Amino acid sequence: MNNELCDGLVDYLNGTLSIEETREFEEHLKTCEDCREIVDATGQLPYLSDQEEPPAGMKSRILANVFEEEEEPVPVVSAVEPGKTDIEMGRAPANPELTVTPVTDRKRKRVWWTPLIAAALLVSLLGNAYTFMQLQNEQPAPAEPQTAFQSIDLQPSEGFGGGATAAVIEQADGALNLVVTAEQLAALEGEQIYQVWLIEGDNPIPAGAFTANANGEGAALFNIENNTEEWDTIAITLEPQPGNESPQGQVVLSAGL
Amino acid sequence: MEKSSDTLLYTRIREKDKDALEDLYDRYEKILFSFLYKMTQDRELAEEALQEVFIKIWRGVGDYDDSKGKFSSWLFRMAQNSAIDLIRKRKKPTVGLEEIAEMPSAERSVEGTAEWQEEKEHIQAAVSQLSAEQQEMIQLFYFKGHTHEKIAELSGLPLGTVKSRIRLALGKLKKTLHGMQGKGAYDE
Ligand SMILES: [Zn+2]
Repeated sequence: MNNELCDGLVDYLNGTLSIEETREFEEHLKTCEDCREIVDATGQLPYLSDQEEPPAGMKSRILANVFEEEEEPVPVVSAVEPGKTDIEMGRAPANPELTVTPVTDRKRKRVWWTPLIAAALLVSLLGNAYTFMQLQNEQPAPAEPQTAFQSIDLQPSEGFGGGATAAVIEQADGALNLVVTAEQLAALEGEQIYQVWLIEGDNPIPAGAFTANANGEGAALFNIENNTEEWDTIAITLEPQPGNESPQGQVVLSAGL
Repeated sequence: MEKSSDTLLYTRIREKDKDALEDLYDRYEKILFSFLYKMTQDRELAEEALQEVFIKIWRGVGDYDDSKGKFSSWLFRMAQNSAIDLIRKRKKPTVGLEEIAEMPSAERSVEGTAEWQEEKEHIQAAVSQLSAEQQEMIQLFYFKGHTHEKIAELSGLPLGTVKSRIRLALGKLKKTLHGMQGKGAYDE
């Protein structure tokens, strides 16, 4: 440590130097054996890690994304047939469109829908477009709402700018569907996804997921198969990737039921 | 030997050779993933950081040449920086609904384990020569990705003190490693 430039070492290793400073320090590395050797010694620290088995399918995901950078953007929103569980290959769209992820059971099953399909699905599910409007709080509730509970607004956690509304719709055959619509959502990165949870006590179950489209809107649809539980809370978390069986990300929106 | 073959691979990658990138990926996937997991404690974040690394390499961001030290050090530093970026951007959940237990898959690849184990014993032995405080510094600085400002805040030590202690810790690590590798003692 005999050179003023050597002082940059700690910041260099910590990645807090600007691009210009980094370049400057790398010039310094060429002539300073001491700093270079410390950089190399530091480079052995990762071997202290315990061996962790990489996730299944990670290699193909990563290489596809790396090489995709080069090529024409591939249409990434793919509608997989419901019932087909192609978990590993499913990815959040790079340019998120409005997507709806119907979840019909608690297994990982993800289906990405184009906006058109999503819209059609909602309409057919809800029976009429009117109810859809109601969900978006653009119209008062119809005289005979099919909702098991009225639309409720979810409260944003501190620092989160978005909002969401949830409603449970009872179908003619008695089936229950939870529909969540959200707006003013922050853009997502990578595989991030907004995940809806229904919670009884401290037992959350995944209840649909959505991404944000260019307008910051998203919607999720969840078929509640088993309504014996007494849900007390609905929450939306920002998950690092789809398909988590229990929450991992931060709660961004929630409401008591 | 391995170093030169890394450099060779890297040269081919710079020429947009996809097979070379895949080879490099295969060679480092497990150590990088394990390291990134150690840093982030989150398999998804680790994967994201790993992807960042390979996107950067493919795009030629932060071009490597051997004046920057060993290739693996450079690669690990890039990985570490990617993880730090993600950690700082995303933060770990403060309101977790419950702790999630990620299930590691049952079988573990044996490939590369012996070499890793060897490196690990080596670096462990060197780290064990450091004082508890120096080990803590490395833990906070390197694996937690804290800036020295943050460490100063956590430890209540003055900034300058933290910075020089990190440097001293790393310097001692370097000397110990060199001593163990039989490359001779360094006087400083
Ligand atoms: Zn120096």
